[in-house]
Amino acid sequence: MDPPTRSSAAGSGDSGTYTPEIADSIRFEEEIQSLIRDPPPPPPASSSAAAGSSSFTALLGLPPNQAVELLHSPDPTGAGTASAAGGDLWPRLRLPLPCSSPTFPSNAALVERAARFSVFAGAGDGSPSSSGDPSPKTRTDPLPPQRQSPVAKRKEAGEKGSKAKAKKSRNAEDGTAKEDTGGGEQLPYVHVRARRGQATDSHSLAERARREKINARMKLLQELVPGCSKQISGTALVLDEIINHVQSLQRQVEFLSMRLAAVNPRVDFGGLDSFLSSECGRPTAVSSKSGADLEQTTWLEMGVNGGRRQPQPQPQPQQQQFWHVDLVHPHHISQMWEGNDPQPHAFANPGASILSYDPNNSTSLHSNQLKMEL
Amino acid sequence: MQDPNSFKQAFVKYMLMGLQASRVSSKSMSLQERKEAIKSSADIAMAFARGGANWTNALITSLSKKEQSHALLRSITGKQYERLTKSCYLSCNVQRSKKILRRSYRICSSRRSKARHAPPRRLEANVLARSMAKKRTRVLKKMIPGGEFLDGLSLLNEAFDYVSHLRAQVDLLQCLSRATEVSKLRACSECTLKEMEAPNVGK
Repeated sequence: MDPPTRSSAAGSGDSGTYTPEIADSIRFEEEIQSLIRDPPPPPPASSSAAAGSSSFTALLGLPPNQAVELLHSPDPTGAGTASAAGGDLWPRLRLPLPCSSPTFPSNAALVERAARFSVFAGAGDGSPSSSGDPSPKTRTDPLPPQRQSPVAKRKEAGEKGSKAKAKKSRNAEDGTAKEDTGGGEQLPYVHVRARRGQATDSHSLAERARREKINARMKLLQELVPGCSKQISGTALVLDEIINHVQSLQRQVEFLSMRLAAVNPRVDFGGLDSFLSSECGRPTAVSSKSGADLEQTTWLEMGVNGGRRQPQPQPQPQQQQFWHVDLVHPHHISQMWEGNDPQPHAFANPGASILSYDPNNSTSLHSNQLKMEL
Repeated sequence: MQDPNSFKQAFVKYMLMGLQASRVSSKSMSLQERKEAIKSSADIAMAFARGGANWTNALITSLSKKEQSHALLRSITGKQYERLTKSCYLSCNVQRSKKILRRSYRICSSRRSKARHAPPRRLEANVLARSMAKKRTRVLKKMIPGGEFLDGLSLLNEAFDYVSHLRAQVDLLQCLSRATEVSKLRACSECTLKEMEAPNVGK
């Protein structure tokens, strides 16, 4: 969004990995939204906490699409046109992301805005058609009209007083008083529906929003770290896993650098250049799928526990193509991933299989290269 | 999506630049020194290719404090060297003042709690869970560069970012080490083959 503020000399070496995270959070929120679509049954008092929490995270989850769209509202593709269901918005959500490549802060801002927009989802959540109509409209309308809608929502909520969940919204007066902050970027207030039996003062609400944000992040981290099953609930255990993973990665780096140092004296790193580039010239020759597998494995998915091996689908035809590849390495390495449809999910997809670099393939390749150099 | 690609591309480029600049292959260095050089060049390459996150600046700062890596850092970062090391210095000051603030806050709050004599509720599961989580966040803060002064949410953000980039770094190093080992083996076998052939040819 702000290229001049990016510090990387590479120019675009910025928050590329944020797209995986955003893609993750999108998937995460999609799950939640699917929960919303089948309207949850009115929860009895005993399970109100559980249902309430799911609805709260639904509140958290649903609006980010709106939030991201607002983020991109300067973009022509960003601002949502009217569509009946939130489901329509999800596919369009992916479009703005590549254009603007949201950065670190905007992702955090995304979740914050999610909390802020939660009233819209709250109205849509578990509500019959009467509020169902305004809620999609509020989701899709641009920002200023949405500020009016909380007032309308409050009236509807008043009408539906017989709901099982006790709902209170914050003083809309505060909201309407603070409406004009200029710019479509930030709302000054948070509209949150309180669950039954929960305090509604600003502190606890803000705390709850904060806690939900932290939980959302923890879930993302759980997906990223392998060996962190979904069943491990509880912050401390997940943090344990994360710490172990980081430690093991750092130890691996040490070990590998030691190994490289041991091998080193006889190696010419200029030659290594061309080796890497030729190896990476694969996708030009090969179907994107196997190229994708190789690249994903070598670059994205090496598990901490070592790779599970899978036979390389097409080793043979790839080898001949190597030497026709031009040996300018930056181009190569970009070609390396061009054929690959770089899935942003790959960073956080622990279930994907891991191909390891086939040593047979590499040795024959290297022999060719060495012959050329000699 | 273009960005992971450009990151990896830049990462490899800087890594190789760093390795060539530190001249690990030709200089006579001890194993330790070579390993340090390789590791620092990998770290710098990763941080520099990533660009603008909190941990990247912290990493570059901590590496710039070491005397050995100055030349390496300069060669990789090029023009950005001054800007990066300067900004990191500033952020250190900011962090120091935050630390002072926190310390004073802690002292005040401890005074307050002593005055109130908080009832010992150590056995509540709630409190226990919270203390466990706090311990672990403290550990995590130490492990992530620049993480000590971050609060919970941004710490988790940084952790996510850092882990994904660490993974890429590990992959790169594995690739490189395999490549170099293979080339070394091949070179050896080629040499021995040639030696074996030579007497035959001579005959």
